[in-house]
Amino acid sequence: MDTISFMLNGVQTQIEADKNWTLLYVLREVCDLTGTKCGCSTGDCGACKIILDGVAKNACLIKIGALEGRRLETIEGLYCDGKLHPIQQAFIESGAIQCGFCTPGMIISAKALLDANPNPTDDEIIKALSNNLCRCTGYVKIIEAVRMAARLLAE
Amino acid sequence: MPDQTQQEHPYIGANVPIAQAALKATGQMMYTADMKLPHMLHAKVLFSTRPHARIVNIDTTRAEALPGVRAVITHKNTPNRYYNSCGEVLNEFMTEQLFSPVVRYVGDKVAAVAADTEKIAEAALKLIDVTYEDLPVYYDPELALDENAYAIHDHGDLERGNLILTVAQSSGDVDRAMEQADRVFSGVYECPAIHHGAMETHASLAVFDAEGMLTVYTPSQDTFAMRRNLATIFDLPMSKVRVSVPAIGGAFGGKIDLTTEPIAAALAIKTCRPVRLVYNRTEDICSTRNRHAMRLYLRTGVMNDGTIVAEDMRAFVNAGAYASGTTSVVWAMCGRLFKVHRCPNVRFVGYPVITNTTIGGPMRGFGSPQLFFAQQRQMNTISKALGIDMLELQRKNLTTQQGADPRNQQPHGNARPIDCLNRAAERIDYSEACREQLESENARYRIGVGIGVGAHGNGMYGVKADITGLMLKMNCDGTCVLFTPSNEMGNSSVTLQKQMVAETLGMCLSDIDCVEADTRLTPYQLGDYSSRGTFVSGHGALKIATSMQKLLAEVAGRMLEVPAESLRFADRAAIAADGKRVTLEEIVLYSRDHDQKELMCAESFASQAGVMSYGAHIAKVRVDTETGEVKVLSYAAIHDVGKAINPLSVTGQIEGALQMGLGNALSEDMGVDERTGAVKNRTLKRYKMLYAGDMPKELTVEVLDSFEPAGPFGAKSIGECSVVPTLSAIGNAIANAIDAELNSLPITKEKILEAIAKKTENKA
Ligand code: FES
Ligand code: FES
Repeated sequence: MDTISFMLNGVQTQIEADKNWTLLYVLREVCDLTGTKCGCSTGDCGACKIILDGVAKNACLIKIGALEGRRLETIEGLYCDGKLHPIQQAFIESGAIQCGFCTPGMIISAKALLDANPNPTDDEIIKALSNNLCRCTGYVKIIEAVRMAARLLAE
Repeated sequence: MPDQTQQEHPYIGANVPIAQAALKATGQMMYTADMKLPHMLHAKVLFSTRPHARIVNIDTTRAEALPGVRAVITHKNTPNRYYNSCGEVLNEFMTEQLFSPVVRYVGDKVAAVAADTEKIAEAALKLIDVTYEDLPVYYDPELALDENAYAIHDHGDLERGNLILTVAQSSGDVDRAMEQADRVFSGVYECPAIHHGAMETHASLAVFDAEGMLTVYTPSQDTFAMRRNLATIFDLPMSKVRVSVPAIGGAFGGKIDLTTEPIAAALAIKTCRPVRLVYNRTEDICSTRNRHAMRLYLRTGVMNDGTIVAEDMRAFVNAGAYASGTTSVVWAMCGRLFKVHRCPNVRFVGYPVITNTTIGGPMRGFGSPQLFFAQQRQMNTISKALGIDMLELQRKNLTTQQGADPRNQQPHGNARPIDCLNRAAERIDYSEACREQLESENARYRIGVGIGVGAHGNGMYGVKADITGLMLKMNCDGTCVLFTPSNEMGNSSVTLQKQMVAETLGMCLSDIDCVEADTRLTPYQLGDYSSRGTFVSGHGALKIATSMQKLLAEVAGRMLEVPAESLRFADRAAIAADGKRVTLEEIVLYSRDHDQKELMCAESFASQAGVMSYGAHIAKVRVDTETGEVKVLSYAAIHDVGKAINPLSVTGQIEGALQMGLGNALSEDMGVDERTGAVKNRTLKRYKMLYAGDMPKELTVEVLDSFEPAGPFGAKSIGECSVVPTLSAIGNAIANAIDAELNSLPITKEKILEAIAKKTENKA
């Protein structure tokens, strides 16, 4: 077992894990943070997206050992003090959520985009979601939700 | 019963976000794989690497000796009862066992391990030694049908050999009509096995407690049939089996059948500890269920003016290794052939055949996507051959509002495919698109326009007792709890039930709490399948809300001293004609304190009509004749759903169906490696589903302003119907772009280049 410390949703955190375990496994099975989903574990679906030092990444492809000293955001970090994040609000209102399994990953990809680029074009939105699969929505309302989120965040 | 046609309805026709959306947006929604119980074990399954073999010997001693392993199960130490995994067929064609001494496809279950961690369970699998003796192998249903073919099953009452059952229906006199037709067109159409691709893979968590109660948490579309199957397999009374659905992360028909459930249950029973089994994506692709691969032979008799006088289809349906719901799929598909054209002479013969491939099961569209791919592709061919524009040809032959099934004259129910088609043509600017097609005829980038029409049903009326039971109880603050056998799997079916209740009782949506899909807690229903959600279960919700309204009105009438019938319900109150009101809270309290009575109801709704839903799609594509690449430039999908109860979800269903249908048309294909029998495309990298950037830039999704008299508030289904026309719209567009016949799905770059090369060759 190895000891790894990193910043998790704004809180300095230390965990015991084998450094070769994936970040996804550690989040779900060690930290009990199950909002981050597993749809493939091969980097193809984006259900496991997290934000690592400001960049959206697939947690299933990252070894926990690589987290030492880094800043990690998960879907759980967006909902604080009983208040939904504007991106979450926008996803709900736009009808961007059906079964909801892709939703945390989608919202994380959207967050990483909007943090870096508060006013993205449609092409930029599509590019930011280019590694996120959704089998339910056809992406139309997800793209709409990201547009709406940008508007809400600007207010 | 509220007036369903006239007055203002705050919740009917409103854009309502899906129930529990905040849980899904925050990651708080608990799916099965997210659940953990104290003392829980983790399971892994050993899958067959042989397509067809007898297990001569299986030695688990080394696996059992691995520290952390708590149980290893095989056919030797588990119940051997036969079952059919699909609730729609349940007591017929019982070909499957929990574990069998014979494996019948690559991916078949051989053994399973429960261990302290998933990693230990995985390591243990490698220590199980299996000796196989290979048996004859069939991947093609037509070969498996051969008289001398080895019978893959010796149990399950199949019709003969590997043929499960011949499904045949006809109307009129097809042979005579073919003889009298001016032209007869024939085509062969191939559809591959399709992965449902729900983002949540199959999973279950089973508990067997000291009271002898087996509880299985699982994303199930069919809790009651799963309970019945589990009770049979483990020889338990139903009072000792509970199937409970925490959430469903997408299903599309793939979560009707038992897959992981009996394995987790057997391990829980063996270890007396909770056991969680979660399939990874490869296991999900290879070892659950898929949309059937099919080969369809179609003959169409046509007069020179384009009138279709006869349609004759033969379908060879690859059931895969076990019967599952294949016959149900083929019956459903058979029925559809009689639902779209005015033609009186129609014949369908379907052969569902057992082979040594992955198991075909229910999937969105239930055979309709394949059937309409063939029929609509052939229409396109006919249109070209006769020089009649496809739009004209369609209008001439599509059924109308007076249309009825030629077999039994049962009305289709306000069928409006022509209106859908006209609207689609208008929205995509069909004539302009055809002009572009003509102009690009010799260019590198060819434009093609394709039309596809399709239909799907609304429940299982006439096939099965199509029942939904519901319960409703009032809380003493005027809110309520609805006990529904449905699960909100993403299609807004429970959301719609809440709309029905809110509308009828004058409540807010947030006043309604739901207990969902749990055999212990809710009444029975047939299942969350067969496009029953709106038409049947929605109607059930309307019925129970109406019963509750009666109870409330009776009390309120006495309180206000007015006739109960004169009350209307709005703003959380019962309101009399003169404006006097009592709130729901006051009514409930009065009932409790004064009448000493709890306000609650239970109802059962049985569907009494088998109406159809229709849709027309038009695609405009651009084909690069040098690379074979296809870009879907614009797409119009117009549907008739009667009254759209929740337009936000209806359009969402259609948009999602396009992701699935366009992927099915262009890139998705499980494939079989004929050397090993294994699925070829066993990861998401290889099994190519569409990402956001692959979707058409210009997309029009609309529903007609319509009303279905038999539906609740005039509504009918959309979920399945929306995927049906996609394959042919895209297929026809590409065929028209390069002026070639492309009848085998998916239409990949390679196939397009091949078709182009063949044409050039023929010219030379
Ligand atoms: S689970 Fe990580 S990309 Fe799919
Ligand atoms: S909402 Fe179901 S996968 Fe996206």
